[in-house]
Amino acid sequence: MDKKVLLKRMKGNPFFVIGAILALVILIVCFCSPLFIRFNPIVNSTAEKLHSPEGLKNGLSGHIFGTDQLGRDVLSRLLIGGRFSLLIAFIVVILQTLIGTILGIIAGYIGGIVDSVIMRLCDVFLAIPNLILAIAIMSVLGSSPKNLVIVLVVSGWVSYCKVTRNSVRVVKNQDFVHASQVMGAGKMHIMMTQIFPNVTTNLIILASQEIGNTILIEAALSFLSLGIQPPTPSWGNMISTGRTYLMVRPWLVLVPGIALMLTVLAFNFLGDGLRDVFDPKRVS
Amino acid sequence: MDHLLQIQDLCVEFKTERAVSKALNGVNLTVDKGESLGLVGESGAGKTTTALASLNLLSKNASHKGDIRFQGKSVFQMKDKELLDIRGDKISMIFQNPLTALNPVFTVGEQIAMVLRVHRGMNKKDARKQAGELLEMVGIPRNRVHDFPNQLSGGMRQRVGIASSLACNPELLIAEPTTALDVTIQAQILELMKNLQEQYNTSLIMITHNLGIIAELCHKVAVMYAGRIIEYGTVREVFSTPLHPYTRGLLGALPSLDEDKKRLTAIPGNVADPRKLPTGCRFHPRCDLQDNKCADKCPEMICITEDHYVECWYHGGGND
Repeated sequence: MDKKVLLKRMKGNPFFVIGAILALVILIVCFCSPLFIRFNPIVNSTAEKLHSPEGLKNGLSGHIFGTDQLGRDVLSRLLIGGRFSLLIAFIVVILQTLIGTILGIIAGYIGGIVDSVIMRLCDVFLAIPNLILAIAIMSVLGSSPKNLVIVLVVSGWVSYCKVTRNSVRVVKNQDFVHASQVMGAGKMHIMMTQIFPNVTTNLIILASQEIGNTILIEAALSFLSLGIQPPTPSWGNMISTGRTYLMVRPWLVLVPGIALMLTVLAFNFLGDGLRDVFDPKRVS
Repeated sequence: MDHLLQIQDLCVEFKTERAVSKALNGVNLTVDKGESLGLVGESGAGKTTTALASLNLLSKNASHKGDIRFQGKSVFQMKDKELLDIRGDKISMIFQNPLTALNPVFTVGEQIAMVLRVHRGMNKKDARKQAGELLEMVGIPRNRVHDFPNQLSGGMRQRVGIASSLACNPELLIAEPTTALDVTIQAQILELMKNLQEQYNTSLIMITHNLGIIAELCHKVAVMYAGRIIEYGTVREVFSTPLHPYTRGLLGALPSLDEDKKRLTAIPGNVADPRKLPTGCRFHPRCDLQDNKCADKCPEMICITEDHYVECWYHGGGND
């Protein structure tokens, strides 16, 4: 597609602009945070525990969002924790999309027994609630970031597979697929070059929303102390430990909670925007 | 000499859960190099099935008897690799509905270039350039290679379809165009195809239910009814002295500019149901010449002259 047209569409789409800017800011701030944070997010300093947020009163070197029950700076923990949460979310979503899409295309295009086997496999995964599956796997494998990724991928690829498979079944009976068969295209070419680009719209939306969703599930697992283990910060375990102080020191929950909400929102907006921008069926 | 395409006793059945549908019941057809053949018949007569069978692209639930030879080699015995090489390169097909035959997510240039890259092994740049030339040949400005199918009109999309089928100079072109186009565009497309056919000496099978198109474009015509060819010959012979009652019915259903006809004659009844075909001559329930013989036995193809064959007990009209 023409770059000019793409750029014009991007500018004209408020969802995309807001989502992209927000997501970009969050990503840059989180991933560059080791360069500028003033406090070690892991080391305790009991003298300074449970300070209220100071805002910008003491400039950038103060505890802008206060400190937690062990005297660690909330902002530093937020940024470093965000790094983990986002990194895990991206890796998980990429792996999920790959597995789900490939299986979905194969099931949808080849059909028959292959389709049945893959779809029943999906049903099996759907029948087990995500969180319970995750808890089961984590308690067997033990909690480490690698296992966390495995758990999230295993419990999440099904929706991509189902979505892709259904769109492939619609697309595969269209004339242009027959036309490319007549023109001498092989099965691989038809699956990957002719059909796949036609089903990406749904996938982009799903994947960008899944980023938010994955952060949430990861937070939930960390909240249940099955995810990222303290003292390494993550938004989930920050909320989980802050919960105890909810009535008296609400910022301990509110700060990571709002960060989580903004991130999820940003990626959902981005997903909606991307769908409109990349829609090849749109005129102009 | 070998024929370019030779179809021998081709029978095709589609098995569905409820019934067996006999789409083709013994089709014999030959196409020589440079020849253009019109295939006419009502919807469901088996025209498209014949075309798809010659590419060995029948769906999985179809079973076939008989043989189709392309350049002396049976398409049913070819390996997958050989078939992929033939499709789009030696035999090419233009689809009936230009509005859906193009992939909506690629520019038309990319789609034409794809054919060239697969069959001719061209690199991206050369293929793109050639695609531009092909578009110009079918009368679309070169700068529209970057357009998506939805930015083109139906007629232009049909031309893109033609351009991509002609990309590799096929030996045989199976065309099923124009059904979805208005008459002025249709005339342009036909003119275009006629020129191209003369220029490249391509053989052509034209599938249509429009007799006018056949008279315009083809040397020979085969009339199909219920999965059989019932009359075959040069266009001049068949259209001036139609022998089969069905052909006569088809021609009688056309309005004429010369005669002052009050009413067009219609053929009574419906197309034979391929799930339960009538016995004997498949056309007899709708035929006004029918008698017991017709219901009992299917007639053989009779050679009237070198240029004219018919499959009817009472060809020519009289009960002899």
